[in-house]
Amino acid sequence: MAYLPCGVYHEKYSQDQAFWQTNFIRGKMVLLAVFSLLVIPIFLTDYLSEFILLIYWAMGALGVQLLIGFCGQLTLGHAAFLAVGAYSSFLLMTLPWPMFMHQIGAVYPLVLIISAIIAGLWCVLFGLPSARVKGFYLILTTMAAQFITVDFFIAKYVSQIGGRQQDLTLSSDLVKIGPWTIDSKVDIYLFGVILLVISMAVVANLVRSKTGRAWIAIRDNDIAGEAMGINIIGYKLYAFFVSGFIGGLTGAFWGASRNIISVEDFLFGKSLWLVGIILIGGVGSLHGVVFGSLFMVFLIWALQEIVGMIGGTGNIIYFKEIAFGLAICGFLLFEPNGLAYRWWQSKNYFNLWPFSY
Amino acid sequence: MEITKELTIPRLFLDQATKFGTDKVAMREKEYGVWRPITWRDYLDNVKHIALGLIRLGLQKGDKVSLIGDNRPEGLWAEMAAMCAGGIGVWLFQDSLMEEVRYIIDHSDTRFLFAEGQEEVDKGMSIFEDCPKLEKIIWDDPKGMRNYHEDYLISLEDLMNLGKQHEQENPGLFEELVKSGSGDEVALLFYTSGTTSAPKGVLLSHYNMLSMGRNLMAVDPCEPTDDYVSFLPFAWIGEQMMSVSCGIQIGYTINFPEEPDTAQENIREIGPHVMFAPPRMYEQMTRTVQVKYLDASWIKRKCFELASKIGYYVADLRFKKKLIPWYWKMLDWIAYAAVQMKLKDHLGLSKVRHAYTGGAAMGPDHFKFFHAMGVNLKQIYGQTEVSGISVVHRDGDIKFDTVGLPIPETEIKIKEDGEILAKSPSVFLGYYKNDKATEETLIDGWLASGDKGFIDDDGHLVVFDRSKDVMTLNNGKPFSPQYLETRLKFSPYIKDSWVIGHEREYVTAVLCIDYSVVGKWADENKLTYTSYTELSQKPEIYELVEKQIRQANKDLPDAAKIRKFVNLYKEFDPDDDELTRTRKLRRAFVENRYKDILDALYLDKSTVHIDTTINYEDGRKSHIKTDIKITDLGE
Repeated sequence: MAYLPCGVYHEKYSQDQAFWQTNFIRGKMVLLAVFSLLVIPIFLTDYLSEFILLIYWAMGALGVQLLIGFCGQLTLGHAAFLAVGAYSSFLLMTLPWPMFMHQIGAVYPLVLIISAIIAGLWCVLFGLPSARVKGFYLILTTMAAQFITVDFFIAKYVSQIGGRQQDLTLSSDLVKIGPWTIDSKVDIYLFGVILLVISMAVVANLVRSKTGRAWIAIRDNDIAGEAMGINIIGYKLYAFFVSGFIGGLTGAFWGASRNIISVEDFLFGKSLWLVGIILIGGVGSLHGVVFGSLFMVFLIWALQEIVGMIGGTGNIIYFKEIAFGLAICGFLLFEPNGLAYRWWQSKNYFNLWPFSY
Repeated sequence: MEITKELTIPRLFLDQATKFGTDKVAMREKEYGVWRPITWRDYLDNVKHIALGLIRLGLQKGDKVSLIGDNRPEGLWAEMAAMCAGGIGVWLFQDSLMEEVRYIIDHSDTRFLFAEGQEEVDKGMSIFEDCPKLEKIIWDDPKGMRNYHEDYLISLEDLMNLGKQHEQENPGLFEELVKSGSGDEVALLFYTSGTTSAPKGVLLSHYNMLSMGRNLMAVDPCEPTDDYVSFLPFAWIGEQMMSVSCGIQIGYTINFPEEPDTAQENIREIGPHVMFAPPRMYEQMTRTVQVKYLDASWIKRKCFELASKIGYYVADLRFKKKLIPWYWKMLDWIAYAAVQMKLKDHLGLSKVRHAYTGGAAMGPDHFKFFHAMGVNLKQIYGQTEVSGISVVHRDGDIKFDTVGLPIPETEIKIKEDGEILAKSPSVFLGYYKNDKATEETLIDGWLASGDKGFIDDDGHLVVFDRSKDVMTLNNGKPFSPQYLETRLKFSPYIKDSWVIGHEREYVTAVLCIDYSVVGKWADENKLTYTSYTELSQKPEIYELVEKQIRQANKDLPDAAKIRKFVNLYKEFDPDDDELTRTRKLRRAFVENRYKDILDALYLDKSTVHIDTTINYEDGRKSHIKTDIKITDLGE
């Protein structure tokens, strides 16, 4: 429950459930919008790559958060669905679409949605075992999804399409939504912000609805949930679908931002990375997704700066893995509830001022 | 609409309800997590149907309609409906014992009783046989009522349906009823709890009530957009004054808490603009702050202390009406922004323009505490017999040892023997069926209050304690027990206190610890206990309380210092007649009841043996056998 100041009350449930209930919070949201839509694209252009990475990770972790944090379905194969989204979008773009559709910029949005749906269905396919198994066994089946999809299916067959034995590419002038051609970094950044905000809003609304309550019931105690009349399998698969759908969007966004995709982008390490982000950010928190990504982006950036300063060269990749492992260990030991909890705590410190409860 | 002798509460109500219509929320009730709004239109419709339902059941002009239950919209509708139909409303305290209910229902000749739910209906049913004049019991909360089929029970819904039917058959009857009647007829009948004797019925006319509201609003105007939280018993005149006298005139929104237990929380949600409560509630707030302060971290504690110091200093300057230097003003502003604003927010006082306290004495410590926080707390003085209040502090002219200046149209004078007399349009019509008491109290239109006091140089009224409560020690030195009691109560650990010493050698005190606060302290200090009785007798708790008393004793004259004390084995409770329903100590009663303890305090004894029974509201009794210790402070 959010802490409300004195004198804020609700006559209707719609007000009671509103996201932003006080002017203070609305003010903060306006500031956030100004910062992310004006300040970053205009003044912080040097860091756009980092911000794009932040969005990419946050969106990827959002799907993982939904499965692990809200529905309790442990997954270690989320990169597979990112890959499905990315590859689907690239391949679908090469279809012979009618010229006028390219002209009005309808192809890319359509492709985006279709590839997200493909990724969602692919995710449901590998979510099916969750009807029977949970915990460690489910981790194994999701890992199977990772290896079957990326290391076998995509690496051996899909990436061979076109016969170049090479990465797939996409011409950036094809990435067009209506009249808006997404080809510069700023465009990609803004496109990412829009995608992230929409996905966040969708997940946030799902989580506070009947669906979300069912997911949380499954996470907390699936047997009790079933006894309460919740269709567990249905809701689990629903969670897999939404998670895969967002994964697909993420993959497609990643492809569009780089115009080139390769199997290396979606290896098992990426799946672990996404789980690491939600561990650091806070399991079961939407804020946590962004906080975790922010932390990771900052960590990598700082490492690069340090390695650059002490004159190290290509060894950044190893430092990255070490730092990642250390960060997760550190968080599990000292802040097991993640950055989101710390954020909540610090807000409370001032909300409850000058008392402690 | 101008308040005249002809105007009645129903007419003003109809006028306001028509004026505000569906545009304005008349009241809100917190139900299932949201504040369900009720517009003036709904208010009017409900009152109309209840009133006509009562008429259908045979209500005649001047019949009494009793009401019992927690604060909720239905209660106010029923009261208003009773008045609209020409009846007279009688409110009972919701926690009244069976005997009190029986006495009031019988004495007031009640024909209809509105009871909230099963609990109140049970009370009504068990006295039904003894009150032959009682005809129907109307309930509105269906919880637990499924198996009640007695003929004399009727649900509010059924009553309103009867009313609707009656309206169809007699269109315009309601308006006619409202138009009939005049302002000097009896509107409401209140039973004063009385610290001394059986309750007396106070008859108040429409004009009494309305002129009360007008005169209070002339001092501290309210806006129709204001919020007010109604959580104190409707049987208390203060609540009636705010909800009916002022509420109908101004049209501010009245908010009802979800449950009596959640009142404090709900007040915070609403953030009322005006507030009227007995000192007990402010004492509770103070205690909350003190306990939370003790548990806060070091930095927070220091900030709080600093801000309080500044607040107290500036409040003191204000009390003395001295000019506040600009640097103190600035410090005060910083302290306010940093701490006190947040403090007010926690207590739900952020929006309060005027907070009133009355009904009992409030200690200067508590009073200063709120002013240091920037809350415009004012003392008022009044009684049921003047429909509420007669004296109040004015903004910027507040003295914590006075109760302020008379409100408009009110005259105050002091009799030769020091008794306070009041005269105003709000002075009551008389006591119901008690001409003797009326004659004693109403002398040539002046109301004899039974309180003693004087008027100081600024024209402020100073009220002593109730005449018989001014005490002198054997050596002739006077002391004020209520002052000492409120001082003791400033400690968070002490909930109630009773100071003794009249015509005795020295001053002593009987204390009731605050179970939750002391219990928490005990938990933190690894003390084990199972009950209030056991906890109160722990030597560690005695030490704790002793420290509090030494603190309170610090700057008292030697004669008034508390020499000995005991921790009572139970809390004072209105169910045991130790307190009135408005939680004033009934001194004569407790002196009698705790005679053993009283005697032991003035002998050279260190323990008292107790063998007694405790009554509960539902009629249960429990037996207590224990030894309680007496501690000598040696001062």
